[in-house]
Amino acid sequence: MAKMSKLLSLVMAGTLALSLTACGGGSKSDEGSTSSNASGTSSNTTETPKEKNITITFQNIYPDPTDPKNKLMNKLVKQYETDHPNVKIELDSLNTDQQKLKLKTQAASKEVPDITVVNPAAQMQPFVDAKLLAPLNDMLDQNGLKDTFQDGLLDWYSFDGNTYALPDGNNIAVVYYNKELFDQAGVKVPTTFEEMLDVVKTLKSKGIQPMAIGEKDSWTGSFLFMNMLLRTNNGPGFLKDVLEKKKTFDDPAFKEAVDAFENLVQAGAFQEGATSFDYNAGENLFKTGKAAMYFMGTWATGGIETSSVNGKVGVFKFPTINGKGNPDEFMLAPGSAFAISADSKHLEETKAFLNWFMTNFPKEAFDAKGAVGIGQKVDGDFKAAGYSDMAMEVLNLFKEVKGGDLAFDNTMNPGTAQVHLTSIQNLFAQKKDAADVAKEHQAAFEANNK
Amino acid sequence: MSTSTAVSLNKPATAAGRGRYSIAKTIVIVFLSILVVTQVYPLLWLILYSLKTNEEILSGSFFALPHAPQWSNYSAALEGNYFRYLLNSLFVTSVTMLTVILLSSLCAYAISRFRWRYGQVVMLLFLVGMMIPMQATLLPLMIIFKNIHVLNTHLSLILPYVAFSMPIAVFILSGFMKTIPHEIEESAVMDGANIGRIFRSIILPVSVPPVMTVCILTFINIWNEYILAATFISSEKLKTLPFGVNSFVSQYSVNYGAIGAFLVLGALPVIIVYFLLADKITQGMVAGAVKG
Amino acid sequence: MNVLKVSRLTIAAFVLPCLIIYVGIVFVPIMVSMYSGLLDWNGIGESKFIGLDNFRNLFFHDPVFWPSVRRTLMFSVFSMAEIPIALLVAILLKRYIRRPNFLVSSYFLPVILSVVVVGQLWKTIYNPASMGGMLNQVLEAIGLGSWAHAWLTEPSVAMYSLYFVALWQYLGYHTLIQYTGILNVPEEIYEAAKIDGADGFAADRYITFPNIIPIFKISIVLAFIGSLQAFDMVMVMTGGGPAHATDVISTHMYNMSFLSMKYGYGSSIAAFLVILCLVATFLINLIFNKLEKRFS
Repeated sequence: MAKMSKLLSLVMAGTLALSLTACGGGSKSDEGSTSSNASGTSSNTTETPKEKNITITFQNIYPDPTDPKNKLMNKLVKQYETDHPNVKIELDSLNTDQQKLKLKTQAASKEVPDITVVNPAAQMQPFVDAKLLAPLNDMLDQNGLKDTFQDGLLDWYSFDGNTYALPDGNNIAVVYYNKELFDQAGVKVPTTFEEMLDVVKTLKSKGIQPMAIGEKDSWTGSFLFMNMLLRTNNGPGFLKDVLEKKKTFDDPAFKEAVDAFENLVQAGAFQEGATSFDYNAGENLFKTGKAAMYFMGTWATGGIETSSVNGKVGVFKFPTINGKGNPDEFMLAPGSAFAISADSKHLEETKAFLNWFMTNFPKEAFDAKGAVGIGQKVDGDFKAAGYSDMAMEVLNLFKEVKGGDLAFDNTMNPGTAQVHLTSIQNLFAQKKDAADVAKEHQAAFEANNK
Repeated sequence: MSTSTAVSLNKPATAAGRGRYSIAKTIVIVFLSILVVTQVYPLLWLILYSLKTNEEILSGSFFALPHAPQWSNYSAALEGNYFRYLLNSLFVTSVTMLTVILLSSLCAYAISRFRWRYGQVVMLLFLVGMMIPMQATLLPLMIIFKNIHVLNTHLSLILPYVAFSMPIAVFILSGFMKTIPHEIEESAVMDGANIGRIFRSIILPVSVPPVMTVCILTFINIWNEYILAATFISSEKLKTLPFGVNSFVSQYSVNYGAIGAFLVLGALPVIIVYFLLADKITQGMVAGAVKG
Repeated sequence: MNVLKVSRLTIAAFVLPCLIIYVGIVFVPIMVSMYSGLLDWNGIGESKFIGLDNFRNLFFHDPVFWPSVRRTLMFSVFSMAEIPIALLVAILLKRYIRRPNFLVSSYFLPVILSVVVVGQLWKTIYNPASMGGMLNQVLEAIGLGSWAHAWLTEPSVAMYSLYFVALWQYLGYHTLIQYTGILNVPEEIYEAAKIDGADGFAADRYITFPNIIPIFKISIVLAFIGSLQAFDMVMVMTGGGPAHATDVISTHMYNMSFLSMKYGYGSSIAAFLVILCLVATFLINLIFNKLEKRFS
């Protein structure tokens, strides 16, 4: 492939030279634009002894100006630029889908931006294997940055003793519920899955939408399903066992989880047409008081607090299924994480910036009331700082975590994960035999792990 | 299919007594007006949407008017980089259109009027690429652009936009140019005009209608393109409008009205230009092909 | 036909700028894509040459592939079936409306709206009644509640809902094309036909139709291109779901290349797409050459 691309570029260089002379009008655009590889232009400027001007490209997934994390990022970046006049930080803010597509395209041509965003474990593995990411061990040791992270969190981002990315979040999955709607229907927080089904039915009969989900983004349903598997398997590690060939998807625990999931769907828990609702649209049903329950990672806390149902919302742990499982085991969601390109032209400066950024992140996040579910330790009194009751409830749940599982696509390779996601999404559209679902999974697993 | 339509519709027309004729006419007008409603309503819906509060949008019916127009939605939408995105889009689009017209009319002229062996081969080459979706080449393009150092410049959008617009442009233009009477060129050659001059002062002016067609098709294809735009451009100041619309829509989850406002603002320039030029466009559209 | 005899240099000056850009940006990448189709490659790391294995899997072991091809072809069939309707509208416009330009422009409006707008709008229309969907509410209001569907999420109807949106969006496009085609038929021919007794729709049968065959060709080509490139609309409205029920070739290619990270496999789908384009171009040209000969 490399040879091919070299050949290509030769052909293209010739082509371009010709075509540019042919259409002088078309080429004006790039003048004066500082591109991501701006080193060429900036290093040519007058070489005084002082530090040279550099541009660091910072790809991120916070394009929404109303998102506290976007404000936080902008504030920190601006401050760093003021303190380091020679450093310019160019933000490339994309939504999640765009960023994933862009990074994969960039990675194929070894054009990874200085700072980018990756997901933990299996999802970042291909990037690490291709040696696209710089190890950050040395930088973690500076300014005690390593110790600011929660214990064990960085393991999800480490391969062969090297840490390659720094997460900005560490969340667990909970069920948010609307207390007002629960009171209206006269139901209580369920402590078993069987009670949960009854709650769903009662809500339904009172004309209240029991649960909201944004299943067009198929990971949402998978996340819930995996939590059920965590219960029916009587503890974490099912996928790990499959990977190590100790179990297959044909295991009774898996089929039990499928059945339980289908029971929930068949009971009418989710809104009609759920598979055409994207993540935001699904969440909005809950945030506007149109649905009574919402299963999601605790990162949703901030959004719910700023919505119209603020103050009416509580959280509960996903209950046991058929008496199995421990509610104190959660779906764990170590968040998306910042990584640095191994080919960065300003590796040292980029590390220095990211070190400073992450060191200041917890405090700023705390002040911006966005510290629920961040990946670093926070000192500070949340209650006194004005965090809501719901936020306090969530924070308390964190203390009860006794382990759990990662999402499917963080554990299995992308090929298997896609089949799984589709298979679960299909359960929203039609009833399937659990054995068939298991078979489908096993076939995909075997085809993708040769 | 078309034949059968024509035949079955024969009856009312041949039996057209005066009174019947006006009944038929009324029916037709009603039918055509309903079409106007179904085709225009979306825009109206969008404008209403952009002026509503979140509560009105989520609970109100499809046809409801906003209680009090929420102009603040527009100021929220304008807080972003709307004008910069717009300028970038206008720049990229207009450079693309000019380049496409110039290069493909030259090429079409050579294919349709010059006596040379490979004209049909070149035409075939263009026909082959006419239907291929731009996105299928995303990754190879990335590699090429990296190596010729145009990533993160407007050129990285203009080049593929131009290249992918060319086949249909050459197809339409050469179809038209075949039909220009030879006498025109012959007399110009007699007067001693060289080929460049003939092209400039004879061929181009008479080709205005198909050129308009090409403009429209090119415009429609690239104005809303965002996958390449999101992938090849990283600098905020170089990003284009469709990219802006897309990130705005997918992330601004809390403010529906502002999304609507941004969408209205995104569509507005096009609609204005379109209605200003509507007459010309109608005349120009496919004028070339009909004679080809 | 080709009258001008010019020097090679002149030909080069006229053809090369266009050709070089086209070959460099369209042709070369497609060749690269086709080559990638022979690799086992996740798009990032090392690649391995595996010959035609991808194609073998694609043609014989991929449960999603052939249905997605079928949907893509159906998409183009529906788009083409719309052209006669557009022709009818165009004929009616010309015959009954004194100043039809405004109407034609109005019909054209949806074409220039971005797919995001169109997608949001139709999602709102298609939503289940309980979620405020207009279509189902209307059906219930006129007593056809039993016809209500979850238009985008029932696997058996979702694809048809998507076809319909495309038809709606591009009706104005084809109407405009047909309409201007009709306008370009010289009025004298109709006058002459009138004397011979052909009027109204009879005139359309014998004059309009044969005269706008080339326009048909453009419409058909554009319809086909449109259906191959329906990617954006499908992504916005259903993302190919539920469970692949609305996957078309291009969305399947995208899923494989970038979500499943099987770039080599995705490229083999791209290669198939290119070949499909070639066949279609060939067929369309063949048919229209015959038609044009018959009618002229």
